[in-house]
Amino acid sequence: MARMKFLVDAERCIECNGCVTACKQENEVPWGVNRRRVVTINDGIVGAEKSISVACMHCSDAPCMAVCPVDVFYRTDDGVVLHDKDLCIGCGYCFYACPFGAPQFPQAGAFGLRGKMDKCTFCAGGPEPDKSETEFRKYGRNRLAEGKLPACAEMCSTKALLGGDGDVIADIYRERVLRRGKGSEVWGWGTAYGPGKPGAQPPAGQPQPTGARS
Amino acid sequence: MKLLTSLCLALSVLLVGGMAFAQQSDVQQQQERRLVQPGNNAPVWREVRKEAQEHTTTVRGRETGVLVQSAGQTWRQIRNGPVTFYGGWLVVLAVLIIAAFYFARGSIKLHERPTGRLILRFGTAEQVVHWTSAISFCVLGLSGLTLLFGKYVLLPVIGYLLFGWLTALAKNLHNFVAPLFILSVVVMIVMWLRDNLPRAYDFQWFRKSWAFMMHGEHVPSGRFNAGEKVWFWLGVIGLSIAVSWSGVILLFPNFDQTRAVMQEAWIWHASAALIYIAIALGHIYMGTIGVEGAYGNMRTGYTDETWAKEHHQIWLDETKSGRTAPGGAVPAGAPHMKEKS
Repeated sequence: MARMKFLVDAERCIECNGCVTACKQENEVPWGVNRRRVVTINDGIVGAEKSISVACMHCSDAPCMAVCPVDVFYRTDDGVVLHDKDLCIGCGYCFYACPFGAPQFPQAGAFGLRGKMDKCTFCAGGPEPDKSETEFRKYGRNRLAEGKLPACAEMCSTKALLGGDGDVIADIYRERVLRRGKGSEVWGWGTAYGPGKPGAQPPAGQPQPTGARS
Repeated sequence: MKLLTSLCLALSVLLVGGMAFAQQSDVQQQQERRLVQPGNNAPVWREVRKEAQEHTTTVRGRETGVLVQSAGQTWRQIRNGPVTFYGGWLVVLAVLIIAAFYFARGSIKLHERPTGRLILRFGTAEQVVHWTSAISFCVLGLSGLTLLFGKYVLLPVIGYLLFGWLTALAKNLHNFVAPLFILSVVVMIVMWLRDNLPRAYDFQWFRKSWAFMMHGEHVPSGRFNAGEKVWFWLGVIGLSIAVSWSGVILLFPNFDQTRAVMQEAWIWHASAALIYIAIALGHIYMGTIGVEGAYGNMRTGYTDETWAKEHHQIWLDETKSGRTAPGGAVPAGAPHMKEKS
């Protein structure tokens, strides 16, 4: 078992939105819901433009989990933060708390009434039996159960977006930084996985990823 | 005057220019750093971490251009910290104080026997408005408490399936009963504003309130006593406005208010509501088991003359002398007093 993480290389992302499309296609995400988005800073300004692909980062100390009034969130052995749509009441608190704007709400009625929350599952489905029809309908494809990594990262043409064992992708990134001599910042890792070195352990009380290299 | 105008103009030009310059320099800094010190992208990450800074994205939706918001963590700490902790204990404390008072003092009974002569105290309209807001308040209060504390109190007891169903019900009740509450409170404020204006004798009530509560000493009051007036101004007007205003912001997310606005509204809403519940518990106690006969007055609209004399003597005198119409909206010709059959 590994501690699954996303890593976005702002030096490589070319804002092709391939990850967004791959996610929507693979998980058959409904209209109006985008589990992943690409944000560009200083769009169109030569030399200052940077793009970053954002989705749920599967935080170690997940704010959504902490504020949910129904406690719908849970963490898998892989460190992936998933939720139970059957229990979700659509209050929107996870959306208030999330640093990355990951929780999405399909509109369920008049006046912007929120439906059941939808977010990136790291292509790991939900509480239903793995690869079942109900799991696919509610949460999308369970690629981890099929032995595959998230579709967005697998589809990324420049390999700017990496998804997988936090230690493995951190090693890949470290080598890249050493080769090119720039872009050492790992976007969002401090916020998602706590301060300190990349690959910081989840706080006490959370299930520890087993077999992770230190 | 001309000088002043030109001065203002010059200042505003400077201001706008300065802002443009600052923005320019931010971008320039990012561009330069890439060449001068490629191993350190600090200016870029400062830009990314700017709170509520919208960047470019093709995904439509609320604040989709914001990369990271730090306020969510602050909101989480305030909600799960002080609001849950102090708010929760405030409600528990209110219950404990009321229970202690009840067991120490017991309910406040009448000194004299009821006369059997009934006086109209609350008209039908007043009863309807009171009970509409009272019942909706209880529904909102209980559902709100479930949403904030249920995870800690109910969930371990009743389990996920039942609790999930209960909170979904609580959320929908909360959303749909809220407009009814707001409406009934607005009517209530207009209806009872005149009778709740402070009078000279109200200040005397405060001085004697302890003697009244503990020893049943007689304190003359108007239609509403000073305690009820405080409840009216602080609760019915003050806290209702706080709760309703913040609640409407949370109730209608379709106006694309930002997360920062909703976080702040939530903190106001929960804080005001918990104080409201704590005070309302006192009102409910006084209106039911705390004061003998109080519940029947609002339930039937009529009160016994003895009760009126002992609790609202000035109102009774005014009613009897015909200076004030008893009750609220009384249809013309309706009997203001009636013999108990």
